[in-house]
Amino acid sequence: MDSGVSEGGMMVRVEGLTKGFGSNVTRVEVIEDLDFEVSAGELVAVVGPSGVGKSTLLHLIGLLDRAERGRVVIDGIETDDLDGAARAGLRNRVIGFVFQHHNLLDELDALDNVALPLRIAGQGSRSARDRAVELLASVGLENRATHFPDQLSGGEQQRVSVARALAMRPKLLLADEPTGNLDRDNAERLFDLVTELHLKVGLTSIIVTHNEEMARRCDRIFRLAPRADSLKDVRTI
Amino acid sequence: MSFGAEFHVASRYLIGTRRWTPVVTVTLISLLGLGLGVFALVVTLALLDGFQSGIRSQIEAHAAHAEIRPASGRRIEEPELLASLLQDELGEVEIVQVVRGTCLVSSDTDAVPASVVGRSDAVGVLVDRVVSRRLGVGAGDRLELISARQRLTPMGPLPVRIRADIARIVSPAPGAEEGTVSIPLDRAQRLLWGEAVIGGIELRDAGDPWTLGQRARKVVEAHGVAVEVADLEALHRPLLTALALEKTMIFVAVGLMLVVAALNLLCNVAMVAAEKRKDLAVMAGLGCTPQSLRRLFLVLGLTIGLVGSVMGAVLGSGLAFILDRTEALELPRGVFMVTAVPFSVDPATVGLVVATALGLSTAAAWLPARMVARREPADGLRCE
Repeated sequence: MDSGVSEGGMMVRVEGLTKGFGSNVTRVEVIEDLDFEVSAGELVAVVGPSGVGKSTLLHLIGLLDRAERGRVVIDGIETDDLDGAARAGLRNRVIGFVFQHHNLLDELDALDNVALPLRIAGQGSRSARDRAVELLASVGLENRATHFPDQLSGGEQQRVSVARALAMRPKLLLADEPTGNLDRDNAERLFDLVTELHLKVGLTSIIVTHNEEMARRCDRIFRLAPRADSLKDVRTI
Repeated sequence: MSFGAEFHVASRYLIGTRRWTPVVTVTLISLLGLGLGVFALVVTLALLDGFQSGIRSQIEAHAAHAEIRPASGRRIEEPELLASLLQDELGEVEIVQVVRGTCLVSSDTDAVPASVVGRSDAVGVLVDRVVSRRLGVGAGDRLELISARQRLTPMGPLPVRIRADIARIVSPAPGAEEGTVSIPLDRAQRLLWGEAVIGGIELRDAGDPWTLGQRARKVVEAHGVAVEVADLEALHRPLLTALALEKTMIFVAVGLMLVVAALNLLCNVAMVAAEKRKDLAVMAGLGCTPQSLRRLFLVLGLTIGLVGSVMGAVLGSGLAFILDRTEALELPRGVFMVTAVPFSVDPATVGLVVATALGLSTAAAWLPARMVARREPADGLRCE
């Protein structure tokens, strides 16, 4: 498996992507025949009404789910034919995730949560924890390392989640409504942190958000609309 | 995923961190179930081994450890020479020449068929409890032994008979159902054969009874003596087979408790898999392979299995040891050969029980582990 941006500097290329849920009469096509591209280094916002398939799209790009049809190319790697272990390896090395509900493991403290991707990659406990300390410092939480998720505020939990996403120095950051559960001030601070790290680390970032104001601060906005409303699922503004 | 990460997360699920979680509760229930199963099996088998080792001790104490028999016919040729050869080659072993037959044993009031053994080491007439009970006789009473051999008399052919005063009543040989009367060799030869015939040579070695037959067989084979050698196993095969079968059946029957405990473990690990569905999806998102998620659950099951079975084995062995040493469970005197319920902890048996519990735990954890490994990570994230 070769790595490195290819296909004209594209970090993400999606072609003819189709995904639905249910079967027969309960079948709902969430995404159908979708094309989508993100260049390396771009900060992209994906917006759209609830239930339109923004999270599903992010899951498909992040290799958390499999499309029924279509092609997903990440960092020049065709992912459709990869087996579970190869997809997991790609998620670990190339992709960082920030979920809507922080999704930290309740049984691990902030430090162990951030170190988890490193431990999964096979790093030793000490080096993983050293790197985790560094990352927590970069999101301003060096003094909260031994706190467990339920001892952190919502904003702090999301900052830990951002630190965890960056642990493996990924090329691609995927964030699914990272500010969705935060108040305005915390949402602003988190978005500032993500954009700052995006530039500092040299990431390609795709952020799903409902917040139009934040979306406008991104390089591009992809508006995902219900199929009935448009002939093309993705519009670039 | 490295083994360290799997073990790290699994251990946090098992012991929790700062608060009591449902996972910790189901873990404790699984531990308790498996521990109880192992405990019950270890104590039961220790009890069985205690009784069985008592029977084996009786065999070792009272029966021959090996026997030389004629390869054909009913007499051993040149028995003195063979006995001398065995004594030279085997060293410190007891050698007893015997002759056997069946006689009618009669008292003043009754008569029963019994096995009569003439032994070169017998100094008086020993009657076992089977014969003494059937005839209602005791030490000092007189018996008449009537052989099937006949001798010609002026009144025609009559069976050969001898009268004998009982010196002692002895325990029957373990597993022996037919009564036995032991008499000195020369009297038995006169009674059964009318000449100095040796029908067998019994060997005993208190130091190493179970290999004596094998060693004796090597000696007779090396010297080309045409005899058969029956070792301790062969001499008591029906009894020893019954004991082994009894142990196997008890293991299987009580071992069903372990199967029930393993099914409980399966339910509990499946519950953990359901409760931690979101965590597992996140871990998959962070790069855990399906195989490593499967391993995580196998680590969970194996850890519960290991801790539960070791706990049960230690407690069971400890209790059996204490009960044996203190003779806490007394038995009615005169009814059993022993005065207290005997326990014997056999490390190999305990090892087998622990290995069985571990095998069942792994099998129980396999199903939920397989289920977890087959999920797409997004399925877990969607269930938020």
